[in-house]
Amino acid sequence: MSVIAPRFKFSEFVKSIIENAFWIVVIMTLVGLPMAMIVLFYVDLPVIDGALVTPFLALTWLSHPELALPLLKSFLTSDAFRILAFPGFGFAALVAAGTIFVERKMLAKLQLRVGPFYCGKIEGILQLAGDGLKLISKEIIIPAKADKPLFIVAPLLFVGAAAAFVALIPVAPGWVVADVDVGLLAVFAVIGFFPIITVLSAWSANSKFPFIGGIRALYQMVSFEIPLILSCLGVVLLTGTLNLTEIAQSQQVIPWIVLMPIGAIVFFICMLAELERIPFDLPEAESEIVAGWLTEFSGMMYGLVQLGSYVKLYAFSALFVVLFLGGWSGPVFWPPLEQELLESGQTLGPIKLQLPGLPLFSQEFFSAVIWFVLKTAAVIFFVLLPRGVFPRIRIDMLLRIGWYKLIAMAFVNIFVALGLVYAGVVGPGGIF
Amino acid sequence: MADAAFLALSVLTIASAIAALELRSLVYGAIALMGTLGGIAGFFLLLDSPFVAMFQIAVYVGSIAVLILFTVMLVRRELIFTKVEDRRRRLAGVGLMLVAMASLGAVIVNSGISGITTDEPAVDFREIGADFLVRYWPALILMGLVLSGAVTGAMVLARREDTEDDQRAG
Repeated sequence: MSVIAPRFKFSEFVKSIIENAFWIVVIMTLVGLPMAMIVLFYVDLPVIDGALVTPFLALTWLSHPELALPLLKSFLTSDAFRILAFPGFGFAALVAAGTIFVERKMLAKLQLRVGPFYCGKIEGILQLAGDGLKLISKEIIIPAKADKPLFIVAPLLFVGAAAAFVALIPVAPGWVVADVDVGLLAVFAVIGFFPIITVLSAWSANSKFPFIGGIRALYQMVSFEIPLILSCLGVVLLTGTLNLTEIAQSQQVIPWIVLMPIGAIVFFICMLAELERIPFDLPEAESEIVAGWLTEFSGMMYGLVQLGSYVKLYAFSALFVVLFLGGWSGPVFWPPLEQELLESGQTLGPIKLQLPGLPLFSQEFFSAVIWFVLKTAAVIFFVLLPRGVFPRIRIDMLLRIGWYKLIAMAFVNIFVALGLVYAGVVGPGGIF
Repeated sequence: MADAAFLALSVLTIASAIAALELRSLVYGAIALMGTLGGIAGFFLLLDSPFVAMFQIAVYVGSIAVLILFTVMLVRRELIFTKVEDRRRRLAGVGLMLVAMASLGAVIVNSGISGITTDEPAVDFREIGADFLVRYWPALILMGLVLSGAVTGAMVLARREDTEDDQRAG
């Protein structure tokens, strides 16, 4: 006869309960209370309706819908929400995850395959979650002769640099994590970190394939950074500002891709090269050097690098949208809600529907975000498309394209922009 | 707040500068050098000139540090440096540095620069640009010529065919 606990002793049971209670009391006193005090003393707590929202009051309010709404509103306007959730890292990571799935499925359709199919009932929709779980549960293997500190830190730095890139991209009017006056320069400063991180991680793995891949990445990124920067100069000439929000707002009438198609093409090609996408994926050429600079990464370290590179893909696409496609500008989908509806609610016969404090965001905001996401998704589609169409190019062809075709085209674009300014088409007194 | 940031940046800059000189591993030395250059960018940010700070990061950390890393990784260390170091040389170096720093410090302290207090807002980079176009245009044109000469030179170098192959073929 089987029993659940064959050696059950009541005294042991009581002892275990007392022990657990003891540890809970000790940990709460030593960690919980100081944490609460730190929050109370050092964190700037928001004031809503004249009441200082302490953690205790916040918990009380959360149990009441009407009081929870202003709390939610104040959270939505806080910096923490911007950095972690909406225009910042959370949103970018979500788009990145979507991009990975769409890429696999779309490539499969382009190549007449099925793609992810079995995981999840509908078209393998859960494949991504499965892959994530697999990566998290895998063991992290560090090569014996690797330079451990650098090897461990490199994936984190890569994700961090990608997140810093995302923080500079405005998504809707006023919705940007860091609205700096020299935004475009800050973008170039952040882009400059990627080759360093790549080559350091490649070196620290102390293995041949990562090193070859890292050196290739360095060649590629450094040589394509120059036409990338030059192709943005035209936009800066026309708008007279480096602030990305102002650049996006300057395209209310006409997006710059119409006036400067050459610059947009150069920027797009350089973007592909900076992102190591096919046809420029020499750093990770899987048929020659295993996985390039990613060869020695395993488990979640590989997952972090992959997340970072797709977040970077989103950030570059969003930058293309901001610079050339007019950012969030576009016709408003729905007219703004009437003031009466907001104040007194909607009466439907005997039922009166009123929710004070709603809607949380204005209709213009929704329209802006929808336009921005649609445009970014379109650019991401065109970034993914070459992978199903083109073969990988040779490194000498790559450097040839980067060093003189693209740089020359970028200079042509600058002269086009100068011509537009001097002809009076754009700028003070111009048509746009 | 600014003082705390200044202290932290000073410690970072000086500590990583010393580390860049003293570390035996050249790659770590290059990383420490990046820390120094980044710290200087931080000083520019504290001085309300983000334009210069961003260029400091983009050019020094993003390009020059990459160049150093590239050189360090591709060339074997023993080929670049032969280690000549003993106690006397080391002490002489430290002494020379102290003398240089003391004299520079004396010059700076006596110049009256520490007595300056100003509440004027930082100069906008647009004004600097306008000045370049209006007042200092010869310098701007000269810079443009030098830079385009450099770019053309780089492109010519990239275009250069390897003559050895032709000689072998011929």
